[in-house]
Amino acid sequence: MKKIYALSLFIVVALFLASCNSKPTLRILNWGEYINDDVVANFEDATGYKVIVDVTDSNESFYSKIKSATTAYDIVVPSDYMVEKMYDEDLLYQLDYSLLPNRDNVTYMSGVSDIYTSMAATTLSRTGETVDYTDYAVPYFWGSFGIMYNNRVAGLETALETYGWAAYFDPTLTASSVSRGMYDVPQFAYAAASFYLEKDINVVTNTTLASVQNAIETANFVQWGDDTLKRNIESANLDLAFTYTGDYLDRLYLQLDEGKTIEEVQSDFNIYIPDNTLVFIDNLVIPNTSKQVSMAHEFINYMLDPEVVALNSEVVGYATGLVEAYDIIVGYADSEDTWYKNWATAYQIYYNKDAVTNLVPLTALSAEQIDKISTMIDNVRS
Amino acid sequence: MTNQVYPKAHLNDYGYKEIKHIKPILKILAISFAILMIFMLYLPIIVIAIESVNSSVITSKFDSFTLSWYTNIFNESELLNAIKNTFIVSLIATSLATVLGTLFAIGIDKLPKKMKSKIVFLNNVPILNADIVTGFSLMLMFRFLMLLFPNIFGLTTLVLAHLFFTLPYVILSVLPKLKELDPNFIDAAMDLGIKPYKAIYLIVIPAIKAGILSGMLLALTMSIDDFVISFFNTGAGFDNLSIWIYGVLGRRNLTPSVYAFSTLLTLLTGGSLILFNKINQRKGKKHTK
Amino acid sequence: MIKQYRRLAIPYIVWLSLLVFIPTIALVILGFTNLTSSIVFSNIQFTFSNFTIFSEISILTGFKNSLIYASLTTIISFVTGYLLAYIIYKSKFKNKFMIMTLMILPMWSNLILRIDGLANIMSNNNILVDLIGFSPLRNLIGTPVGILIGMVFTYVPFMILPIYTALEKIDYNLDEASSDLGLTPIKTFMFVTFPLSFKGVVTGAIMVFLPTFSGFAIPKILSQGNMIFLGNIIENKFTNTVYNDGALLSASILLFIFLAMFLLRRFDKEGETLL
Repeated sequence: MKKIYALSLFIVVALFLASCNSKPTLRILNWGEYINDDVVANFEDATGYKVIVDVTDSNESFYSKIKSATTAYDIVVPSDYMVEKMYDEDLLYQLDYSLLPNRDNVTYMSGVSDIYTSMAATTLSRTGETVDYTDYAVPYFWGSFGIMYNNRVAGLETALETYGWAAYFDPTLTASSVSRGMYDVPQFAYAAASFYLEKDINVVTNTTLASVQNAIETANFVQWGDDTLKRNIESANLDLAFTYTGDYLDRLYLQLDEGKTIEEVQSDFNIYIPDNTLVFIDNLVIPNTSKQVSMAHEFINYMLDPEVVALNSEVVGYATGLVEAYDIIVGYADSEDTWYKNWATAYQIYYNKDAVTNLVPLTALSAEQIDKISTMIDNVRS
Repeated sequence: MTNQVYPKAHLNDYGYKEIKHIKPILKILAISFAILMIFMLYLPIIVIAIESVNSSVITSKFDSFTLSWYTNIFNESELLNAIKNTFIVSLIATSLATVLGTLFAIGIDKLPKKMKSKIVFLNNVPILNADIVTGFSLMLMFRFLMLLFPNIFGLTTLVLAHLFFTLPYVILSVLPKLKELDPNFIDAAMDLGIKPYKAIYLIVIPAIKAGILSGMLLALTMSIDDFVISFFNTGAGFDNLSIWIYGVLGRRNLTPSVYAFSTLLTLLTGGSLILFNKINQRKGKKHTK
Repeated sequence: MIKQYRRLAIPYIVWLSLLVFIPTIALVILGFTNLTSSIVFSNIQFTFSNFTIFSEISILTGFKNSLIYASLTTIISFVTGYLLAYIIYKSKFKNKFMIMTLMILPMWSNLILRIDGLANIMSNNNILVDLIGFSPLRNLIGTPVGILIGMVFTYVPFMILPIYTALEKIDYNLDEASSDLGLTPIKTFMFVTFPLSFKGVVTGAIMVFLPTFSGFAIPKILSQGNMIFLGNIIENKFTNTVYNDGALLSASILLFIFLAMFLLRRFDKEGETLL
């Protein structure tokens, strides 16, 4: 018996010891399926490092994992407002641009620079601090939000183009059978309603909460979800939904793979991007708890190479932040390969760098404010 | 002797209802009900199986029959990684739980009555407690340990967490069988000169084999599909299958290879359990002959 | 002699005390104080301010929804589960292992995949409609019936197994004896079989009620986010790192769990029917 106890003890101790790692590893915390495996493999081949990519599904999860420091991540990919929050709480490492030579060869898309300026402005008004977010973050992917709609329902497209947000929030402007869905993230719902009410999406007071609650109640959403929304619009189980533009492109690419043409898919379901809408940008940042800071810089430098970014974009349906990468992708429009051609065409339609839209990012709200919004939405759904 | 025909007795004469003629109908009703229930239990599995051979990624339309998703499993590195991690954790945790659980159960069985019922009470808590509460509280405890072992989060904490909620199942399976075991056997063995610990191996374990096996099966089942507890207690890229599926379901698309894997797993497990059962039955028949 | 074996249990007693006692106390502390997530002990304050969350409509609705659905699920599982267990018991199908296998096998598929599959065939346009023209569960998504079906058929194995175990333990002679003494089959069931299997029913009811009361995945997917359940709220609180509220709600679930455990001790001291 003592032998068995000893053996078990040995296994448990071995487990503890195994957790001490020896090979230089780069740990990345990323969204699900948000990086091309080929890109990671190429990086590993070029540098000889080992890369481990952890996956999670929300900014809040990023935050709690970094805050609790249960694992020492070297690279994290949070969205705009989470970068603000992490900066407020001193969780970020200031980037050393001398280790990022590729930065001098690329230009950021104008939309991206605008977002960083906007983030700096909200931080200034919130904490009084002046900060340049490019000191801490490098753009990874960004994208807009729009209203995905089931084009098989007559009149829906015209209603959206005439009334914009109102067609989504006001049931009287569309047929009575039209069903609406909303993203299951309270801040997104709050932002969408604020756009409709033409208020600032990042201001949370008791009056704004009340008016938003009113708007959401009138809209009568029958579904709250994340990826179920886009799948249901595609299969005509839902008619209107507020989603990422990338969500639409996901399904578009899948349909294209099945042999449809872009026009065919658009006549089934499409996405309408209002003139003022929500935007997000996911950034590469280095947490303070990182153990491999120079390795992390090498990775970020690698991700500033337009060719690499273009390769990465083949798998991720969101927009790239680098003008040079955008040009490479759009260049495929003349390609012989149908897949590349379709990809480039879709890119130009939905992520056009010259499109005139007012893109507003979310800002970091305090835990109490988020809780209030959360509770308000829960109250609506009760 | 007169050939008097005596009247046949009927249950009705005694005040009872005659139900012999209803019995066949009841039997058919019962069997159809049982089949309906089992069908409903397996309906989701059937849907998953259908989706796994659907050549279209769009889950609401069936395009054509294809087996390519099964071979595609090997191309999806994230999926393979998650599967590998799941198996590693579950196998280690289940083996440890089975061995340790059996030993602990033997110890608990021999405790004085009051202490025994207290321990059984505590033992039930991991089983009955809500996943979220268990996961969160374990994470709190492990964070204290992290001061000593900085890299502990990952495989280690995951195995420990799984051990936490699988041990009770093993113990709960083994305890009843231990109760049925005649203590005189062990006494007799020791009278014959076998050391106490060897007696466990030679006498107790063969007698409670069925309990150990069902405990092991239950532990493995609970550990393989766990999500919430694993979510709070993992780290360093050690995602298991449930965490991976949950993470992919948010923004991205679920590859049908997951359905293929799930169907394969069901078929494999079902097949091996049926096989195992047939072998046992044959062994049983040999003994009775 | 056998008392030596007691020593084997000592490590486990330590383990349980560490990992069960202490976290429970920690949760209660979190719920009743204003301790924040960074676990700083310097300015700890015993307060009831966290209880204000109980005034929010969403929490009350969440509680109500969880309670109603958990109770309904338990009742329906009890009726259908007992029937099925009884049918199997009466059919002289003595291979308990096969029964266990059959019930456990669905649990080897990921829960989210299974519920997603159910949600698929409950929608209007779904794969069964495409394949064979109709779906038995069509258009049930988002409806209470749909949610109940999902919950019942996920958890009914937990009801069937303990009841079957309890039924198996009944001495068959009792059945014959009651017939000899003049009871009809129905009366035998009511006065002999059912009371003897009752501890299995209690175990099964607890094993179904507790997960459905605190779970959130199934109701979330099958109600399409329209209904709030207690599990959703706790999950939100923990992800938004508002730990105190979450801990308080978790502590209230613990109340139910301890209640259940007292019931269990009264009816099934040895924990025989838990499996």
